[in-house]
Amino acid sequence: MAEHLQLRSGDVDFRIEIRDGVILVDGTAVETPRQAWSVADGDTRWVFLNGEVFEFEVQRQGRRKPAAHHASLSAPMPATVLRINVAPGDTVTRGATLLVLEAMKMELPVRAPGDGVVTAVSCREGDLVQPGTPLIEMDE
Amino acid sequence: MSLRRVLIANRGEIAIRIARACGEAGIETVAVYSDADAGAPHTLAADRAVRIGPAAPSESYLNIPALLDAARAAHADAIHPGYGFLSERAAFATACDEAGLVFIGPTADTIARMGSKIGARALMEAAGVPVVPGLTPEDQSDAGILAAVTRIGYPALVKASAGGGGKGMRALHAKDHAAEMIAAARREAQSAFGDGTLYVERLVERPRHVEIQIFGDAHGNIVHLFERECSVQRRHQKVIEESPSPAIVPSVRARMGDAAVAAARAVQYRNAGTVEFLLEGSGESARFYFLEMNTRLQVEHPVTEAVAGVDLVRAQLAVAAGEPLPWTEDALSQRGHAIECRVYAEDPANGFLPQAGPLLLYSEPTGPGIRVDAGVLEGGDVPVTYDPMLAKLVVWAETRTAAIDRGIAALRRYPVLGIRTNIPFLIRVLDHPRFRSGEVHTGFIDQHLEELIAQPAPSPAAAALAAAAVGPTFRSGATRSGVDDADSPPDAWTTLTGWGR
Repeated sequence: MAEHLQLRSGDVDFRIEIRDGVILVDGTAVETPRQAWSVADGDTRWVFLNGEVFEFEVQRQGRRKPAAHHASLSAPMPATVLRINVAPGDTVTRGATLLVLEAMKMELPVRAPGDGVVTAVSCREGDLVQPGTPLIEMDE
Repeated sequence: MSLRRVLIANRGEIAIRIARACGEAGIETVAVYSDADAGAPHTLAADRAVRIGPAAPSESYLNIPALLDAARAAHADAIHPGYGFLSERAAFATACDEAGLVFIGPTADTIARMGSKIGARALMEAAGVPVVPGLTPEDQSDAGILAAVTRIGYPALVKASAGGGGKGMRALHAKDHAAEMIAAARREAQSAFGDGTLYVERLVERPRHVEIQIFGDAHGNIVHLFERECSVQRRHQKVIEESPSPAIVPSVRARMGDAAVAAARAVQYRNAGTVEFLLEGSGESARFYFLEMNTRLQVEHPVTEAVAGVDLVRAQLAVAAGEPLPWTEDALSQRGHAIECRVYAEDPANGFLPQAGPLLLYSEPTGPGIRVDAGVLEGGDVPVTYDPMLAKLVVWAETRTAAIDRGIAALRRYPVLGIRTNIPFLIRVLDHPRFRSGEVHTGFIDQHLEELIAQPAPSPAAAALAAAAVGPTFRSGATRSGVDDADSPPDAWTTLTGWGR
């Protein structure tokens, strides 16, 4: 009985087949390195290999993310909105600083995860925001 | 007088470090914790633990009355403040004195005098310690400012006397356009601070941040324990520290050491402290300028402990109890090379954004010359409320190159999974050709950011590991699909039952 799995890390996809204890990646048998660590957290898989960390997502059938998608950027922790650099309708490039939060006495820039268009800004400068509060919506 | 029971007014790795030193010295320890830290590793490291308030630092670790109440209730006779939090608040040292508790650190008066930047600068100038040349010209006209710039020499920095943050600041490299830039600086200063007064200072280009560890006792003895190079910083926070500094030759080290001792003597310094300098250039021609004095134990103190072969926290306890310093200057020397890497829960590729969440897998490297001071355990949760530093990896080896190699090898055996950390970033810094050759300055990370955050594409081997991954060991009944309790990470108490593997 073979087990099939689709994994994605960033924009790289891997087709996995596990047959008789052998792991095939895109059809080729791969031996797992010994000096390595991994852990599963639901559909998220974390891998530590030779000092690099990789995050994979298990892709479920019918739930695969479309190439173009909607991103909602939220506050990672309780923070104050220091500056907002964009307005709805702005075209931004990957890595652009959309807004700057302040928490733990540090300025935390929130950057665009990809090229896209800002569709909504749901905070104001000076706002105190809680983790998970949506700050900016964008279409990639 | 000897100390019997010390309350540790801190959390995380430094609270554990202090508890260990106290234990070795036969002193009992009292940990304190906020609601966010119930059951946290530092509370388990002490003989007893007392709750001091809600998660917000202002209501717990910064709450002086709550800490004094805890000390009284636990019958402590001394308080160690650690670093951060209340460690440099003169009011806390005073409150301890008034409550009859020994404050393990300098006197309130010393803390207050060094806490004022302007006051400290004047004090240092009077003590003959070099400071960055600068002045507020009496003649504030364009010609007056220009005359001051000429006197100080190029490159010079013209900045608003009334404030900071880069507003009203101009770097002048030559006389060309100097007048325009002075006028622009004045306009900015006027509009930002309502005060157009300008301050002229020598611009230290590509400076290094080098600090000297000093130590004084109640008997008037003061020694220095050499330097720590702390130039690798992001957002003005240190990331990697080492000793000796690759930029310092013996003659400069001797002069910096003398200056640091003079600085400490000027305030009759007692206990552990650090004098921070800006260092310009390297070799015999290097120049150094007083930056500020930190009146406490530093995060990076293990680097000094490794090369000087001393226990700074143990010495703090002895000196606080009135004993003389355990070392004389002549008996101290540097041996080998030590490097500290601060492991932060942060995402370097996303502006070093702090991360919070569960430590699904956490395993520290071990081996010769490797020390890890950590405040976390596998299965624990990194809260959003406090500093994102998880641990410090300190490596020691005979040479700088060997220490770098050992640091890289140790980081490659330091898996932390479940939240993003800067471990891959630290490896790239240590392995960077400019770091290996010792050519670092405070702008190093910004200058090389692109290469330092570049991540390799996942390999088929990594994908195979991901496919073979199972749920965290500490979660009983975790299955291969691991869909059980991802939203409710366990606290350290539940973790401990499955511990000891």
